[in-house]
Amino acid sequence: MDKALLIQLGGSVVAVALLVAVAAWLGAARPTPPLDADAARALLAVEFPDHKPSSVWIAADGAGLIARARDEALVIWRRGDGYVAREAPWSAVSAVRPAKGRLALRVGDGRPVFAVSDDVWPPRELA
Amino acid sequence: MLKPSFDPVQLAIPFFVLAIVLEILLGRFGKAKANYETRDTAMSLTMGLGSTVAGILFGGVIFAATIWVWNHRIFTIPMTAVWAWVAVFLLEDLTYYWFHRIAHERRFWWASHVNHHTSTHYNLSTALRQTWTGGVAGTWLLWLPLSFIGFPPAMVAIQKGVSLVYQFWIHTEAIKRMPRWFEAVFNTPSHHRVHHARNARYLDANYAGILIIWDRLFGTFIPETDEEPCRYGTVKNLGNFNLLHNVFHEWVGIGRDVAGAKSPREVIGYVFGPPGWSPNGSRDTSHTLKAKWRARMARETQTPPQ
Repeated sequence: MDKALLIQLGGSVVAVALLVAVAAWLGAARPTPPLDADAARALLAVEFPDHKPSSVWIAADGAGLIARARDEALVIWRRGDGYVAREAPWSAVSAVRPAKGRLALRVGDGRPVFAVSDDVWPPRELA
Repeated sequence: MLKPSFDPVQLAIPFFVLAIVLEILLGRFGKAKANYETRDTAMSLTMGLGSTVAGILFGGVIFAATIWVWNHRIFTIPMTAVWAWVAVFLLEDLTYYWFHRIAHERRFWWASHVNHHTSTHYNLSTALRQTWTGGVAGTWLLWLPLSFIGFPPAMVAIQKGVSLVYQFWIHTEAIKRMPRWFEAVFNTPSHHRVHHARNARYLDANYAGILIIWDRLFGTFIPETDEEPCRYGTVKNLGNFNLLHNVFHEWVGIGRDVAGAKSPREVIGYVFGPPGWSPNGSRDTSHTLKAKWRARMARETQTPPQ
C-alpha cells in the first residue's frame, strides 16, 4: 500500500472521529420524552397499522411498550433517538421473568430491556 | 484514457466534512431541520470509510474487467468532445437508475444496498453510509457496456464520481423544495427523502441519481406530500447499532433462508425475488405493504352509508 493512500486513510479516520465528536458534543438528536398513552397509541398506529391491540403496557421508564393483539405481542423499544418494532408470540413474551426490575427480551436482532415496576410481569392489563 | 486524472469524490471530501459540520450546527441552533444521533452518525461515517477500503480491495478486479471490455470496444469515443461528455452523463445516469432499481427490487442486490437505508435519520452523514459488499454483489457489471460502446474507462469513472458527489447534497432535510423547474428535471432533497422513507406509500420510488426524469419516464416517481412526512429507515428498522450486523444482516438472512429452502424454486425466490419474498407469502414485500396501505386508505376515506 503506498504512502499517499495510507495518509489519506489516516486522515479519513481522524475526520470521522472528529465529526462523531462534534455530533456528540453539539447533541442535535431528536427529543424522545418518555412515552405516555397518547404517544404509545400513535407509535403503535405507525408501526403496526393493521393490528388492533387490545391492551398496551408502557415500561416504567417510558422507553418502550408492549401491546397485546390476540396471540401476538407487539414490542416497541427506544434505540438511540428512534424506536424499533418487532412482533413476537405472546406466549414467549409473557413467559419471560423479570429480574431486578428489568425485563430482558430477545426479539430477532434486538435485545430490548424494559423497566418493570416491582418485577410484576405480565401486568394485569395484558394478561 | 484508462485511469482518471482526478477523482471527483476525493476532491469533494473536504466539502463533505464542512457541510456536515454546518448541518449539525444549523440543526443544533434550530436554523434548519437536521437531527444527528451520535451512534447513528458514527455508523454512517464508518460505513463510508469501510466502503472506501472495500473499494480499494475490489478496485483491481473492476479495473481489470473494465479495461478488458474497453479493449473489445465497438467505437473509440474521444474524451475531449463535448458531445461525448453529454452522452456519458445521460447514459451513466440511466445506468445508475437501473442499478438502483435492481438494488431495491431484487434481494441479492438489496443485501448489498440495504446498508445505505438503515439510518433512521436523513442527513448529510447518511449520504456517506455506503456499502462494503457492492464488489461482491457485482452491480459494477452494469457499467461495463459503457466501456464496450467505447467510452474511455477514465471518462466513466469521472462521471460516476460526479454522480456520487451530486447525490451527497440531496441527503438533507434542511432544504425543503428547490424551484419547480429544478424539481421537474433533477433529483432533489425532496425526491430523495421519498426514496429513503419507510412509509408504505413511498416504498420503491425515486431511484434517480442526478436526473429525476428516469423515474418519471419509467413510472417510479412519487412526489413528497406535506400530509405524510417521511419516516426514515427500513421497513423493519435494525434492532441494534452493531456495525457488522448492519453490513451483513441481509446476506446472513439470505443464507439462513436458502439453508431452509425446500426446492430450487424457493432458493431462487429467496435470492432473486423481491426483498420479503417467501414461498407462502407470509412475509411482506413492498408490493404487499403498498396493497395493505391502499386498502387502509380506501377504508378510511369510505363515506358511511346514508
